[in-house]
Parts: sequence; C-alpha cells; structure tokens
Amino acid sequence: MHRFANPARFLRIAKPLTPALFWPGLLLTLFACIWGLFFTPTERLMGDTVKILFVHVPAAWLSMGGWTGIAIASIVQLVWRHPLAGVAARAIAVPGATFAAICLITGSIWGRPTWGTWWVWDGRLTSMLVLFFLYLGYIALSNASSEKGDTSRVAAVFGVIGAINIPIINRSVIWWESQHQKASITFSGSSIDSAYLAPLFVAVAGFSLLFGALVLMRMRAALAEMRIEARMRRMAEG
Amino acid sequence: MPHAPFVIASFAVTGVGMLWLVLSSYLSMCRAEASADALREQP
Amino acid sequence: MKPKHQRLLLALIAVVALVSAGLIAASALREEASYFYTPTTLAAANVEPGKAIRLGGMVQKGSIVRGGDGVSITFIVQDQERSQKVAYRGITPDLFVEGSGVVADGRLRPDRVFVAESLLAKHDENYVPKELADIDMNAAAYTKDTLAP
Repeated sequence: MHRFANPARFLRIAKPLTPALFWPGLLLTLFACIWGLFFTPTERLMGDTVKILFVHVPAAWLSMGGWTGIAIASIVQLVWRHPLAGVAARAIAVPGATFAAICLITGSIWGRPTWGTWWVWDGRLTSMLVLFFLYLGYIALSNASSEKGDTSRVAAVFGVIGAINIPIINRSVIWWESQHQKASITFSGSSIDSAYLAPLFVAVAGFSLLFGALVLMRMRAALAEMRIEARMRRMAEG
Repeated sequence: MPHAPFVIASFAVTGVGMLWLVLSSYLSMCRAEASADALREQP
Repeated sequence: MKPKHQRLLLALIAVVALVSAGLIAASALREEASYFYTPTTLAAANVEPGKAIRLGGMVQKGSIVRGGDGVSITFIVQDQERSQKVAYRGITPDLFVEGSGVVADGRLRPDRVFVAESLLAKHDENYVPKELADIDMNAAAYTKDTLAP
C-alpha cells in the first residue's frame, strides 16, 4: 500500500503515464463521438436524440465512479494515513463535478424532445443533482483546508459519508419509478441494440482514459504546489 | 421537433466542458511544476 | 476571519446545502405521490372537476385521434382495469405513441374528460434502430429481442 507513498516514486510513474492515458483517451473519445454522431442508425422512437447517449452515459458513469474513487481514497487517507490518498481524492473532485454537470445538462437536453420537459423531480434526476451539490460541497471543503498544505480530514469524512448517494442513484429508477427509464445495461445483459452499444463502450473507454489523465495532471499540480510550500517554509525558517 | 439542435447542443456542452477541464488541469500542472523546478534551482 | 472559523463556516454551509437538497427532494417526491392518479384510482377517488392532478398510464392502442387543426388531440389512457379519456392541445413529445407510457398534468372537465395542460412521455430501457422496428412502428412495448430478425 505504501509503495507509492513516496511522491518522487509516484511522479516517476505519473509523468510518462499522463500522456499515455491522455492521447489514447482523446483519440478513442473523438472516434466514438464521430461514430456515434454520423454512423449510428436513428432510433425507432427517439430518432436522432439517441446520439446524446454517447456523451450522457459516460458522463453519468464517470461522475459516479469519481465519487466512489473519492470515497475509497478518503478511507485510505483516514485509515492508513497514506500521503497520496488525500491528494488523489482532491484531484478527482473537479473532473467529477464537471462530468456530473455534463450528465445533468445533456440529460436535460435529451429530455425536452423525448419526454417533453427539461426537468422533472424524478428520483434519478434528483439524486444526480444531489451528487453534483455533494461535489461542490467537497470542493469548497477541500479548498478551505488547503492553505496549510495538509489534507483535510473533514473533507475525507465528507467524501466517505457522501458515498451513500451512489447506491441511491443506482437504485433510484427502481425505488421511485417515475420518469427516468430503468437501467439498460446490467450484469445480466443489455437492452441496447449492438449498433449503439459498441460506440457507447468505446466512448466510455475514451472518457475514462481522459478522466485518468486529468486526475494525474491535477495530482502532479498539487504535489508540485506542496513542494513549493515546503520549500518556502524551509526558506522562511532558515 | 427537429433533433439536430439538441444533439449538437449536447455534444457542444460536453466538448466545452472537456476542453476547459483539460486546459485548466494541464496549465495548472505546467505552472506548478515549472515554479517548483525553478525553486529547486535556486541555492 | 481565522482559517479555523472559515473551515467551520464552510462545513456548516456544506451540511445546510446537503440537508436542504434532501428536503427539497423528499418534498418533491411526496408532492408527486399525493396528486398522482391512475385511471383506476381516479375513478375511485371522486376528484372534483377543476382540481389540478396528474394522471399516468398507457396510451390505449388505436385511441389517438388528432384534430384537424394539427394541435388538438384526444386519446385514452388505460391501466389494467380502467381507462380515462384525455384531451390535449399542443405539440406531443416524440415518445408519445400508442402503447407508450404517459404522464399528464391537468384537470377533469365536468363531463369527466381529463384536460391535460402538459404531457410527458416515458421511455423504456430498450434502444432499437428504426430499421429493426419497422414491423410495428407504433408499438412501444416491444423489446430488442422480439424485434430482432
């Protein structure tokens, strides 16, 4: 667990890994978007709005995966005092919040032509909005404690407690069945035709790699800032 | 209802969001690492 | 302001935001439950005409009648037992087809016709290309497996 605790060792891996995730991620994402936009058939009821799926679903999955990552990193930080875990958790927050916002906005744009409304207070939509607010709260908390360079335990506790919302989002379409359709992709199979499923998985892979690259970039920025702060403190003392 | 504006708007929102994320993350990383390295050079 | 107080304030704001988000969600979901009717519960509930309610169910096959002006429409919403006639003026959502789920906000007219002010369609979890579905374009209840050749 503590093998990557040394920031120098982490950076030796992170520096080549950042472009290795970013460029394939960008290529896959662009490829999936072009495939989805121009080379998928229109859906029998939704028509062309089905193409919104290719950005909406990866954004939804990654914003939920992002908070799961924050929760795991926060537990590692709280229990094992792993020095990089807090840095990782904070690095996830802004990309995760952006993906949650993308999910909400694209979902709203999809809802207008298909359901006939931009927004309803449906269980799935509401719990997703709560996830977005949780991200904002987490970002505010972690920014408030970053001045001293120590990773905040309050933010870590908030990250763990907020994870309650993730299974709620997942189950919301079953518990409060109203407007949002049920899950199409489950462990037992998919009710999405393969013409849409294939580009969707490419898009999920591409966005995931980009997400990884973004988290690494933000971790490297945070570690460099911590080095600067430590240096400044030593200079002020000496 | 024509669908193209809705599809274009969705992809545009995603594109702008991703561009902002990549640029802000990359630039802040470069700036922080450059100034950290510059500090190390100093005696 | 001391950093410690600032942290405390931000933690409080976060907690308040969290609690209020939960309360808003809970009240929105409860409100929805309190005035939601299906044709069966509507028939049993003796709702007076003019009261704002929400009606949900399936659009009965063959019941959609479009008016000559292009925006008027009448159809029958049904559940397992009862059905309810609905009138609506406006553009219907793309997913509004015979056999699909529908949620309508509106009021009962004295002649027991439900006048919808807004109409929301519901999508199911199946995504099927148009070419595969041309056997019966208007049937929303088919799944990928029944449509695939």
